Amino acid sequence: MKRTPLIIVAAAVALAFVPQLGLPAFYDSLLYLMLHWIVLATSWNILSGYTGYFSFGHGAFFGAGLYTTSTLLARYEWPFLWTLPVAALVAAALGVALGAVVFRVKGVRGELFALLTLAITFVIGTIVVNTPIDGGNGVPLSGVPVPKIGPTQSSTFYLLALAAATLTMLTAWAIFVSKFGAGLFAIHDDEDAAEVMGVPTYRYKLMALAISCALAGVAGGIHALFLSYVTAGDVFTITVPLTVVLMSVLGGTRHWAGPAVGAVAITALLYTFTAADHAIAGKAMIGVVLIAAILFMPDGILLRLQRVFKRAPAVAAPGAAHPPSTLTAQAELAAPSAGHGEVLLRVRGLQKSFRGVRALAGVDVDVRRGEILGLLGPNGSGKSTFINVVSGHYLPTAGEIVFEGRNLSGLPAHRIAAAGIARTYQIPRPFPHMSVLDNVALATMFGGTVPDPAAARQQAMTWLEFTGLAEKAQAHPDDLNLHQRKFLELARALASRPRLVLLDEVLCGLTPSEIDDAVALIRRIRDQGSTIVFVEHVMRAVMALTDRIVVFNHGELLAEGSATDVMQRPEVMTAYLGRPHLEPAHA
Amino acid sequence: MSGFTLPSISLLSQSILSGVFVGALYGLMGLGLSLSWGLLKLINLAHFAFAFLAAYVCYQMASKGVDPLLALGVIVPAFFAVGAGLHWVMARFKVSPFNSLLLTFGLTGIVEAIIQTIWTADFRKLESSYGEHKFKVAGLYMPVPELITLVLAVAISLAVWAVLRYTDLGRAMRAAAEDAPIASAFGVNQKRNALLLAGTCSALASIAGVCLALSFTLAPSQMYAWIGVVFAAVMLGGLGRALGPLIAGTVIGVSEAITMAVTAPSWAPIVSFTLLIFILVLRPGKAS
Amino acid sequence: MNTLNLSRRSAVAATLLGLSGLAFAQAGAPVRVGSSLALTGPLSATAQVHKLVGEIYVEQANKRGGWLGRPIEWVVKDDQSKPDLARTLYEQLVTADKVDLLMGPYATGAILSAMGVAQRYNKVLVHHTLGIPSLAKYDMQFPAWSLGSDPATTVPNTVFDALAAGPKPPKTVAVVTSKFPSIQFMTAGAREVMKKRGLSEVLFLEWDFGNRDFGPIANRIKDAKPDFVWVGAIGLDGNLLLDAMKKIDYAPPQHFYLYPSPGPLVSLPDAKNALSVTIFEEQAPFTANTGAAEFVAIYRERATKANFADPSVETQAAASYTAWQILEAGVVATKSLDDKKIADWIKANRIDTLQGKLRFNGTGNFGDDLMRVKQVQNGKWVVVWPKEVTSGGAKLLAP
Repeated sequence: MKRTPLIIVAAAVALAFVPQLGLPAFYDSLLYLMLHWIVLATSWNILSGYTGYFSFGHGAFFGAGLYTTSTLLARYEWPFLWTLPVAALVAAALGVALGAVVFRVKGVRGELFALLTLAITFVIGTIVVNTPIDGGNGVPLSGVPVPKIGPTQSSTFYLLALAAATLTMLTAWAIFVSKFGAGLFAIHDDEDAAEVMGVPTYRYKLMALAISCALAGVAGGIHALFLSYVTAGDVFTITVPLTVVLMSVLGGTRHWAGPAVGAVAITALLYTFTAADHAIAGKAMIGVVLIAAILFMPDGILLRLQRVFKRAPAVAAPGAAHPPSTLTAQAELAAPSAGHGEVLLRVRGLQKSFRGVRALAGVDVDVRRGEILGLLGPNGSGKSTFINVVSGHYLPTAGEIVFEGRNLSGLPAHRIAAAGIARTYQIPRPFPHMSVLDNVALATMFGGTVPDPAAARQQAMTWLEFTGLAEKAQAHPDDLNLHQRKFLELARALASRPRLVLLDEVLCGLTPSEIDDAVALIRRIRDQGSTIVFVEHVMRAVMALTDRIVVFNHGELLAEGSATDVMQRPEVMTAYLGRPHLEPAHA
Repeated sequence: MSGFTLPSISLLSQSILSGVFVGALYGLMGLGLSLSWGLLKLINLAHFAFAFLAAYVCYQMASKGVDPLLALGVIVPAFFAVGAGLHWVMARFKVSPFNSLLLTFGLTGIVEAIIQTIWTADFRKLESSYGEHKFKVAGLYMPVPELITLVLAVAISLAVWAVLRYTDLGRAMRAAAEDAPIASAFGVNQKRNALLLAGTCSALASIAGVCLALSFTLAPSQMYAWIGVVFAAVMLGGLGRALGPLIAGTVIGVSEAITMAVTAPSWAPIVSFTLLIFILVLRPGKAS
Repeated sequence: MNTLNLSRRSAVAATLLGLSGLAFAQAGAPVRVGSSLALTGPLSATAQVHKLVGEIYVEQANKRGGWLGRPIEWVVKDDQSKPDLARTLYEQLVTADKVDLLMGPYATGAILSAMGVAQRYNKVLVHHTLGIPSLAKYDMQFPAWSLGSDPATTVPNTVFDALAAGPKPPKTVAVVTSKFPSIQFMTAGAREVMKKRGLSEVLFLEWDFGNRDFGPIANRIKDAKPDFVWVGAIGLDGNLLLDAMKKIDYAPPQHFYLYPSPGPLVSLPDAKNALSVTIFEEQAPFTANTGAAEFVAIYRERATKANFADPSVETQAAASYTAWQILEAGVVATKSLDDKKIADWIKANRIDTLQGKLRFNGTGNFGDDLMRVKQVQNGKWVVVWPKEVTSGGAKLLAP
């Protein structure tokens, strides 16, 4: 896999010799434009393609870099090359400032983020035009000396853009194959689930944004001098963001090289039609070509090409790593229990309200190490809410959660995951665009802190074997049936090697024989040393598995004790069945 | 930048009115786009191209003596058909939301080329009797073309809202938007409804185009000037909400107008867009 | 880069265009003149004028035997209103297509890009629409648009001279302008001039290029009650502002529009008595200048056929035609296609053009400021100042 960066660098070095070929200088400029768009499209994709946070504001960051350079050149007479890192920094700072505020707000997803970034473009554009940065007059840079890097001036820009493009492509690839990239793609598919798996979503999004903006800033800085006369009207519009979106979508947003393919294709297309007599018709032709491309290559050019040449998609596992024997796997599951029976999780006075609806009204629960605790109650009693709060999916309104002596209340979900708590979802939430193996590998990396994706995949394989999904490793979650998806949830939960596993109605929807399989699996999980809290309605499973149960009703703890004991209590039966029990109270 | 000047009441109110009028046009232009994006999950960039094409067709018909409002009788059905046809193609190829953006961008280029070929890049102004008249109410001027736009925008938005909310068809469309396969399982003829909706969206674009032609001078490249602000109105108003674009468009238009009335007009975009940012960031989270 | 069939075909088409109507054999290979124009994009409304003018000029010249006995071929490319593309195309013209001579593109941004390329390859560049003379720092560039080297001062002075000599010299002025670079710079100069002349500025507003709503601006002008409104307009702005003013029943006593689209403005009934500036109009004495009469007739015919809204020759078309005249003069006088020789000759000589006799030995190779004041009178543009260039007793009117 380390071949790819070598190929990129080798290609860059080869291309660096193009100016020496003595071709007419205009090829340098044309290639400069292509490389310029490669940088812009690929950098956009690092945020928007990977995480799914569609940004319409790339023009703002590009413009910030452009104007940083032009201001430093025109006003402070800096040497050109030194302005580029500053341009990158300014753009990145702008992006991070925006992201720090916007990413904190829950509910800013999808089109709202797109709108915010578009709004930022107009805001910054207006500021630039109305202040001495540009002031409306434009910034003339024709007197600024261009450093002599290549034989001609155009070749200098070409080489600078080549360097920028190489840096950008390497960055995009490096992120793509790293743990960071896996986290970004998880955010794309299901941000909440990713957070609960241990992905530090806020931090990662900011990092992706910062990198994306910095690269756009560099492209802007270089472009300022290429233009030699900078005006705000060309920069702070919807054109740049729209173009990079088109290039990335055309090339393929899920691959690191997709946007580059799109950038080259669209630049070539636009350029081809600049012969005068066909200018207007040319515009129509471009439209036709784009439409045809999108109808016949909906996943982007790159993926279609890959399919044509039958290459394995880049997201593939590095060969089927032969998993160690199941014996070892079982031994790796959890640290040997320090003391069976001690309190692992202590919850006191836990409350959770949703805009006036009190889902949890203050519950006290102790979970002892090594036990299987059943969590029962009628619908709406707060069982799932309890799991959601303990795992960090929701923040508690009040109360305390202490796990292994550490106070976890109020921590973001990814820290709770790192602390050793994992959960499954009642309706499975696998990451749809990732393979089954990668779904589990993600949990290994983030919940279980394995830094290397390759090692993570190896470990993930063992969990797939443990849950019987080994042959489905390369399949996608959509190809699995419900039973398999539930087991995938289990595999994911286990992959982070948690000390406490929260299972949310894992048996619902399964056939009786599937239930037997699941019960056996859960027992094996506990036998490895995990503690399990187990929300369930299927009574025979509850009876068979649990050491103790607690019963919730209307968000409060109703009863606690052994299963057989508790289920006979009148108040419990009333809660479930709604009718007073006529037999005398328990002895 | 000139400082703040305290405007006279008449200046302020006339400016606000002006903002309301242009906001109504933003809303009318955005309505079809919002419905298409929210209910059909297709981002139709060609919406603007259709609006401008309709504007030019209206201009052409008006120059041959046809009353612009009567021209609606021809234009609206024609664009309904075009919109339905476009949707049929996109549905057949199962185009995803962001791919639809790309496809309709291509379509926009084609339409722009057609417009430029037929009408050249020159500016064209529709001269109509409507443009000659205005009302004066309580010292405020209300030109007829703008009033027509406002009335149409409000009436159509309310009508669409009522349909979506109270009729079976509307409920069916909203259901299909949330979960198409399940809606189909309940007997919703999603394909037919989608074609209906897509056609309606384009018809709405054409109405916006006619209003545009009545009030503004036309040029082929002008369509790009509207994309940014109308998208903003659409996204701010909430996708698929019938009254959203109108309200959001008015907010944007009025905030810009007030800015222009009290200080340097070139600062106007910053006020409207900063306001937008605040609204989005500070309002109680929509999702959980 | 492989040339696609498309561009080969268009090169042939361009050649045919240059030779259209001709059947006689020309000795030698064609003289190739290369340029780009904004044939698509927001600037295309005006660039289409330049395309037509170039075609007409090349046709006429070829009828006369071409340059140096060779036919002229005009290689024109579409820069899509983008200065970075303009730069690349000019580099293509010089280094790949290896044209003999260059002609300037449309609009300040593209011209500066082209100028950079010309400078790097020592090509002479005649351009027709540069709005900010101080940005032209290249020795071998020559403007066909006679703004003079300090138009921000000289043009407003001309305008205010005209007003002062008119029936109602204004005392209070409202200045409203777009923030488009070449406009803003002129308006800034105008404000200085007004101060020096003792005029009182009652309002100053700037709007974003691309502004759609002129209602509040019109209102503020009306509230300020100025004698005279200076509108830094480009393209549609003037029309939109007039529309907005009409909607509130306001007609400024005297008004001036800097670079409006002339056709749409003159046909607006509310633009009555609007002033603007021009270097050429289809009336005496301009039509007596070199090449004017014939060009005006041909242009009108071709523009009407091409469905242009306004088929008359004014500043844009005139500047474009002048540019070709300048280039031809240089080529013919030096009997060569040598850029340096041509440039030297142009600088040292006066050339007879559509605008009159032009010189290029001022700052930045600019010559005299030949901008005249014109006014919309009875639905037509009429030149009203200075007196020497008016005809038929035309005078500046004020209601």
